[in-house]
Parts: sequence; C-alpha cells; structure tokens
Amino acid sequence: MKSQAQTGHIFRFTLKKEWLKLLLWLTGCAFYVIMGVVAFVEVYGDPLERQSMAVAMQNPAMEALFGRAIGIDNYTIGAMYSHTMTILGFVLFAVMSILLVVRNTRSEEEDGILEMIQALPTGRLAHTTSAILLLLLTNGLLAIISTVLLIVLGDGSMGTEGAILTGIVYGMSGIVFGSVTLVTAQLSSNARGAMMMAFGVLGASYMLRIVGDSGIELLSWLSPLGLLYGSEPFVNNYWFPVWISIGLSLLLITIALWLKHQRDMGAGLLPDRAGKRHATALLKTPMGFVLKLVKTPLVVWAIAMLLLGVSYGSVIGDVEGLLEGNEVIEQIIAADPDLSMVDQFMAMILGVLAMAATIPSIQVLLRLRGEEKKNRLEKIIAGSHSRLVIFGSFIVVSVVVVVLFQLLQSFAFGGSAVFMDYDVLLREIIVAAMAYIPAILVMIGVASVLIGWLPKLTSLIWLYVGFAFVVLYFGGLFDMPDFINGLSPFYHVPEMPIEEWSWTVTTVLSLLSLVLMAVGYAGFRRRDID
Amino acid sequence: MTKLIEIKALEKSFGKTIALKNVSFEVNSGEIVGFIGPNGAGKSTTIRILLGLIRADAGTATIFGKDVWKESVDIHKRVAYVPGDVNLWPNLTGGQVIDLFLSMHGIKVDKQRKENLMKRFEFDPTKKCRAYSKGNRQKVALIAAFSADADLYIFDEPTSGLDPLQERVFQDCTREVLAKGASVLLSSHILSEVEQLCDKVAIIRQGEIVESGSLSDLRHLTRTQITFQTQEEIKGIEEQPYVHDLIREKEAIVFQLDADHLNEFLTFIQPYTVLKFESAPPKLEDLFMRHYETVKGGD
Repeated sequence: MKSQAQTGHIFRFTLKKEWLKLLLWLTGCAFYVIMGVVAFVEVYGDPLERQSMAVAMQNPAMEALFGRAIGIDNYTIGAMYSHTMTILGFVLFAVMSILLVVRNTRSEEEDGILEMIQALPTGRLAHTTSAILLLLLTNGLLAIISTVLLIVLGDGSMGTEGAILTGIVYGMSGIVFGSVTLVTAQLSSNARGAMMMAFGVLGASYMLRIVGDSGIELLSWLSPLGLLYGSEPFVNNYWFPVWISIGLSLLLITIALWLKHQRDMGAGLLPDRAGKRHATALLKTPMGFVLKLVKTPLVVWAIAMLLLGVSYGSVIGDVEGLLEGNEVIEQIIAADPDLSMVDQFMAMILGVLAMAATIPSIQVLLRLRGEEKKNRLEKIIAGSHSRLVIFGSFIVVSVVVVVLFQLLQSFAFGGSAVFMDYDVLLREIIVAAMAYIPAILVMIGVASVLIGWLPKLTSLIWLYVGFAFVVLYFGGLFDMPDFINGLSPFYHVPEMPIEEWSWTVTTVLSLLSLVLMAVGYAGFRRRDID
Repeated sequence: MTKLIEIKALEKSFGKTIALKNVSFEVNSGEIVGFIGPNGAGKSTTIRILLGLIRADAGTATIFGKDVWKESVDIHKRVAYVPGDVNLWPNLTGGQVIDLFLSMHGIKVDKQRKENLMKRFEFDPTKKCRAYSKGNRQKVALIAAFSADADLYIFDEPTSGLDPLQERVFQDCTREVLAKGASVLLSSHILSEVEQLCDKVAIIRQGEIVESGSLSDLRHLTRTQITFQTQEEIKGIEEQPYVHDLIREKEAIVFQLDADHLNEFLTFIQPYTVLKFESAPPKLEDLFMRHYETVKGGD
C-alpha cells in the first residue's frame, strides 16, 4: 500500500512528541476512575443509604444529569458507579480524543508541517493513519487502566466482566468521538473549525441523551453517549453497544481516510467564505478587536448554553408530576418540609450551568495568552495601546461574557421550566444564577494571575476549573471534607432557591476577584512578552 | 537530455478562483530552471501539484516520467523540497527535525556533510523550534534538503528569510548539487538570484506561462537600455515605434529600445554624429517588470 508508506515511522515519531501529553491525560482519567470507586466504596458501604440514594436518583432531573437510573432494585456500589460516573467520564474521554485527533491531523496540516512530511517519500494516508493508531493506542490504554483499577479497587459488586466492559466502553467513547473528529478534520479547512464541529457533535449527543433519558428513550440510543451508557456494566453487562460503536467507528474512519485520500492538501470540503475588505470602526477599538477575536466561539457557546438550559428546564417540569406518585419521595419531603427535592435539583443544575459559563469566559481571557504565543500580541503592544488597555479589554469582555451567559442560561432554564408549568418564579432562578457571578469572576481572577505571573503554566487554570466542577458535581455524593470543598469559589455560593442570597459571600468573592485581577495585571505590566 | 519534469496544459481551480489556466514547461536533467511571477500567479500551486499535495483538474504532470499524484511516494525518494514558509514542531530541536526528515527520506545520510552544512549556514541545531526565527526555520529545511542526495531539488522561495550572506551559501550549495548532476526548480522573487543561478526561466502570470526559455533567448524579446549623446540635436526620435520611455537628460538621451530593432535605430542616429553610446544588457528584472506592468494595466 503506497498510500501508507512510512506510517510506522511517522507513528513512532508521533509517540515521541505526544507521550508526555498522553501521560498527563491518562493520569487525569485514571484519577477520575479512582476517585469514583474509592469514594463510593468508602461513603456508601451501607446498603440502606445506597437504596435511599437510588430513590433520590430516580427522577427526570437527576437522570438528565447522570443518565437513566439503572440497577435501582439492587443499587450496589457497582450499579451506583456505573450510573453516576459513566456519562461524565464519556465526555471527559471524548474531549481528550477530540483534542488528540485535531492536534495530530488538521492542526499540523494548517501549520504547513504536513506539507513538509508529505513532500518526503511518505504515503498520502500515513500521517492520518498514524493519528488513528495514536487514538486507538491511547483509548486502548485508557480501557486497560480503567479495567485494572476497577478490579483492584472495586468491591464484590464490581465483577470482572463489568470491569472489562466499563474499560471498553470508556475506550470506545474516546474512539467514537475521535473518529467523528477524523471526519470533521477533513470537512473543515482549519483546526478550529474541525474542533468546533467535533465538540458540536459531542454537545448534540449529550443533549439528545438528556431528552432521551428523561422521556423519549429512542433518542438516547441515537446518541453515542446514550448508546454506550446502555451497556450498563455491573448491572446487566450488555455487550451490543460495544459492537455497534466499533462498527460506527470503522465506518467513520473509512470515510475519513477516503476523504483524505481524495482531497487536496490544505483544503476542506466545506467552503471558506470571503472576508471583509475593511476593518469596521468597532474592530479598530481594543475592545472591539477582542470581541472580534472571540466572536465565533462565543456564538457557538451561546447556542449550546441556550440548548442546555432548555434541555434541563424542560425536564425539571416533569419532576412534580412524578413526585406526586412517589410515596417514598413524598415521605422524604414530608420529613423535612424546608427541603424541596425539586429545589435541590434546580440549585444543582444552576451550579452546573454556572460552571459551563465559566469555560467560555476563561477562554476569552486565555486568548490573550494565545495571541502572545503566536507573536501577534507584540504587534498590538508595539502600537499605541498601553498594556493596561489590552489586558483590561480582555478582562472586560470576559466579565461581560459571564454576566450575559448567566442571564441567557438562567432565562432559558427558568423560562422553559415555567413553560412546562412547573411552579417556579423566573425571577428567582435568574437571581440564583446571578449569585454565581462573583464565583466565576474569582476563576477569571485566578486565570489573570497565571497570565501575569506564570504565563507558561496558564493552562493550569483548567485543572482548577476541573477541580471546582468535581466539587460541585460530586461534592455531595462523595462526602468530601469541607476544607477541600472550600477551595472552590463555587462552594461558597448560596444554593438558591434552597438557601438565602448572601451579601457577605457576594461582596467577599467580588473583592477577591478584583484583587486577583489587579495582581494579574501587575505581573503582566512588568513581565517580558514572549 | 532527458526530461525530468514535464508539465503539460495544467489546470487547477479552487472554487471559483482559477489558479492555473494553462501551464506547460519542462525541466531537463542537469538543468536549473527559474520559476518566476508575481504573487498569486500560481507558482506555489504548480509546485504543490508537482509534489502530489494537490491534484490538477486537467493536464498532465510527470517527474522522472512518473505521474506526480499516483506515484508520489516513489518520486519523493529522489526529490528534496524546501517551502518558503517553514513551520516546525515547536517542542523539538532543529537537529531532531533535520534527522527526522532525513530518516524519512530513506537516502543514506552523509553525517559529515550535514555537520558541514550546519556550519556553513551558521545554524545552531540544539535550540527548540519555537525559538527559531523564520530564517532559522528555513535553514532546517535547507540543511535537510542539501544533506539528501536527491536527483531533483524543488525550492519555493527558499531564501525569503535569509540574510544576504546566507543567500550566498544557498547559491553555493545549489551550484554544488548542480555540479553533481542534479536538477533544480527554483521559484523565487529574488531576480538577481535567478539570474545568477538559472539557465532557463519560466514566467507565470495569472495562471499562465507567458514566457519560457533560456535566458539568452529571452533577452531578444526584451528591451535594451540605451544612453547616447549626439553632436547635433536629434529630432523625431520619440516617434520611432521601437523607442520607449524616453528621457532627455542634460546632455544624453536615455530610453528603452526594442532589442530586435537595434539596426534600424543605429541607421537612424548615424547622421547626427554620435559622441557617446552605452547599451546595458536587459536584466531579468526588465523582462519581469514588463509582465508585472501588464498585470497592473489589466486592473
């Protein structure tokens, strides 16, 4: 096969340049598995406690978050792990694979590196095939590591078959979305587009699953996430989702290779639009310039958040009806009249939405660092704008993004809840979302400190975001100590509507964020521009 | 002489943009051909078709008699390529990348020659690629190319980031591979470079080859700059059809003469007692400018 000439050579080289990144990713994934198993084994040793958890999990709002409740009749630790850890794990592994594939295919093509490689006696498909091998290797390792961890750390309810199946569906979620990315890398002529399309597919699969898991079950099976979730390891150990996803991946990989073989270097199948001839007046201001840089991703994020808000909001409407028929839950609520299950779900979902809004606002700020790395920042700084104006513009845009996105999401979420006739005040939900803004600003503050003082380690902010997310999502479930939870700014935000609005928290977090931003600027002002 | 590169009636469009309308030229073995033309004329498109990176819509292109798209792997074993804009993996050193390229080339690497080239180009191979300037990244590709014993070297504006001294090193290296019997296709904007190195040129404009042939042949097609002075005042010279861009300086007259009308011109000025006569041979630049000007005129 001439089109595969020197694939092995390129693959060995790819390993050489990728091993550290993959090691870090796999360590993160392993940590995710360890965290889940250990926490459940430690915290939920008591079957009665598990059973009451099972009851709490059995409603559309929780199913929207974690996935369709499985193994409820006998909610073992295995079932609990499978139910709560799977969907989020899939998303994590899919993100890893999407980034991996884009980095090793379209990014190198866009940078012109592929041109040099393909001018050597290497096959036309060698570079892409090497990326495919890397995708398979990484997810293969992920599957093996997860399986071993589950067997070693799991309790009696986590059998070998279930552990192997869990490992394999983890790997398959990476492979399926990696294969999707292989195709989008052929469709779009640039890395950013390829990545956004792949994340779009992931987001659509996630929302399809939410709607499917909370009612129209067929939709869940159409989503790769829902399909793989349907393997129900430790509960039923169904293998057919594995076979289907293998078939799907093979199909996608074949399509990608065929497209790659046919098309021109540097070309995408989707047309590029012609740009504007002149810069508008807005673009010439620093703020307008920043806005223009981040416009497209923000629009995509806005649409995604709108849909996420609506998906969660429309689901929460069903809860009440379901609660009326469920004696156990009625008893729980009756036992503690101050505590409404529904309000609790709402508070949790508002927290999740706030975390989601954190990502784009931090991306806006990190774009400052991205521009610097591409040596474009020096052109702006060498111009007439002071560093304060540049730094400030990115901060302001990022803060505006937070406020707008929080409004947009809470409106979408609350609006659809009201539309579904759930007894809730839209105003209350919006206020609850506003309460999260100071916490998000603290995250932005931490990011600006990194940019100002530790520019090379800026990506560490994502670890912090990940940590805050774990605290928020699993904090209650895992029973983590307060001092660890307290490291996340989100932990301090009052969970409205269960808790009261707190001016103290709002003021303290806001002041903290201002101090962090100022410290970040102090560093940025005096350091060298890369 | 065998034809190393043979391009016939190549066409290529990208969407609505027509990049190549009708491109035909050839490079014989042992020859160095300069490929020149304004930005966006289709030079890089042609080279990318030759390298099998993109596929022509119509026409044929062969290297060593093999189809450039179907048999690219075999062709590339004997070809070395240097693009104008070299991008490399930021976290590898220049030395690592050179070795990688050479190992993928499959040609036996002459270590001594590689070291020698690094010295001549004053290149530090121990730095990470992200720290290299444009010129240094280009040196990575040049050193890798010249270290390989290729039969054909394809250069796409290879010296666009180099300083004048390094440019000289490039020219020397090119002469050395030519002396060994290799052939070169050199796309360049630096006309003095093409003029010094190349036996033949092909000029491309708006996707079409507008001139091609040996430099000495092409000089007949162009104009010679004439500076002359006569004792008596000369009249009616402006009206002659072979006279262009005439300027009357203090004593002398300077103008561009259509090279194939030299004799008519000499007959015309003879009666006026010529005091001074200088003729500058046409430069490639003049040849080139004529085509640039028509582009501007076309707008």
